[in-house]
Amino acid sequence: MNLDALTRTSGEWLRGTGPESDIVICSRIRLARNLADFPFTNRASDTEKTEIERICRATMDKAGLELDYQSVVNLDALDRQLLVERQLISRELSTGEGPRGVAIGPRENVSVMVNEEDHLRIQVMNSGFSLADVWEQINTLDDQIEEYLHYAFNPQLGYLTACPTNVGTGIRVGVMLHLPALANTKQIEKVFRALHKLNLAVRGLYGEGTQADGDFYQISNQQTLGKSERELIRNLSEVVPQIINYERQARQEWIGQRRQHLHDQVSRAYGVLKTAHTISSSETMHLLSSVRMGVNLGLIDDLEIRTVNELFIHTQPAHLQKIQGEPLEVDERNIARAGYIRRRLASDNQAAEERE
Amino acid sequence: MTCQRCSREASVHLSETVDGQRRELHLCGPCARKAGLTPPDPPPNAALEAIVDHLIVQHVGELVGELARTSCPLCGLKFMDFRTGGRLGCPNDYEAFTPGLLPLLRAAHGASRHVGKIPRKRTPPSRSPRLRLRARLREAISREEYELAAAIRDQLRQEDADQ
Ligand SMILES: [Zn+2]
Ligand SMILES: [Zn+2]
Repeated sequence: MNLDALTRTSGEWLRGTGPESDIVICSRIRLARNLADFPFTNRASDTEKTEIERICRATMDKAGLELDYQSVVNLDALDRQLLVERQLISRELSTGEGPRGVAIGPRENVSVMVNEEDHLRIQVMNSGFSLADVWEQINTLDDQIEEYLHYAFNPQLGYLTACPTNVGTGIRVGVMLHLPALANTKQIEKVFRALHKLNLAVRGLYGEGTQADGDFYQISNQQTLGKSERELIRNLSEVVPQIINYERQARQEWIGQRRQHLHDQVSRAYGVLKTAHTISSSETMHLLSSVRMGVNLGLIDDLEIRTVNELFIHTQPAHLQKIQGEPLEVDERNIARAGYIRRRLASDNQAAEERE
Repeated sequence: MTCQRCSREASVHLSETVDGQRRELHLCGPCARKAGLTPPDPPPNAALEAIVDHLIVQHVGELVGELARTSCPLCGLKFMDFRTGGRLGCPNDYEAFTPGLLPLLRAAHGASRHVGKIPRKRTPPSRSPRLRLRARLREAISREEYELAAAIRDQLRQEDADQ
């Protein structure tokens, strides 16, 4: 895989299509798996990690999975960051130590991390709200890999993982939601409290410790033991539609009570993005969030959701520097970011005009 | 309180005593980073580690003394290492530390028995011959028995080649 090409493309999960894709950006499932014959990554020597890497790569080849393997050790810091921004690897894999890597599917919907916290972290990600599809894909993938490996498994405790918070099914089921209206009206706090009671975790776009920039929230299960994969998926699948409804209601109330204000906010956000000459990452996320909601509410009609989704990712620091082809300081990035957004919006507007 | 180097709100507060003189330092996030006073990114699993530590303290309190003397024969991890780092060392640890882990699993998951997918192939980890061989290899190296270590390494390589 040519990593530079990632700056010109977008993953399947950014397509902006699929069920409920006005609010659900993507659905993702991850499985944590370990080889029975090795210590977990944190306790393995570099020799053992090399061996684990070799076995996992060979397995993916034997299973005929058409994945492109990148050894993270061989990537420079910018490329690693690019993969993090792209949600293809975790920050932990990016900054880890010793032999490790990731195998990526052609449409970026599959990624298999090797020697992350667990030997294997298998991930499948689809655009929109489609957990059942994602489960089907990842379950098959897991079977194909298992065909050539001995997973660490114990009849009482299930799949054994480095951290006991993942043991059992080893599954993390998540959806990424765009909730600008709930965030704006502070009702999001209520949602958090309710989710917490249901044993579900809420995080920002780039995982723990990051703020929910752009009003994106990842909701995922915390329990992995004592319930089957399907039950855990069902739990989340039942909750998400309620949050979607809640967000839609909040948007309708907002537009009903303060239509002019909302329209003004959305148009101003769009205006700033179209004309700014320097813009920070956090202002960009904030404005794009308004614009994204504006498109979904029909307040903006010459812009595609896909473009907005891509802008969220392509304006991140590593993407920008790859696009510019040189390392940039913060101030330079802010200028490059504004320029990139202006060009993208201008060409999208032009495309919209030509379609008419 | 504002940052001592710029006008932003300070978020990092440090105090130290040098030669009996107390000094205070108040910096915003960016200035503290520039001064090398904070790590560039929060550790990704800080939250999880805190949870694990909390659970251990709460739920295996009385057992801690006994568990402190336990270590895994295959990877050498001590239960106290797990308590500090929140990570287990090898698949066998789930057997080695069962009394310490079960209460923790019940607290974290509300359950202590797996229901769900079962792989078609299964190797009980404690009987995994290769995990055992690797443990012997590590032991041999630590005792500086290099001939034995070389023999074990050859045996492992041979098995890898046969796989
Ligand atoms: Zn400052
Ligand atoms: Zn062990």
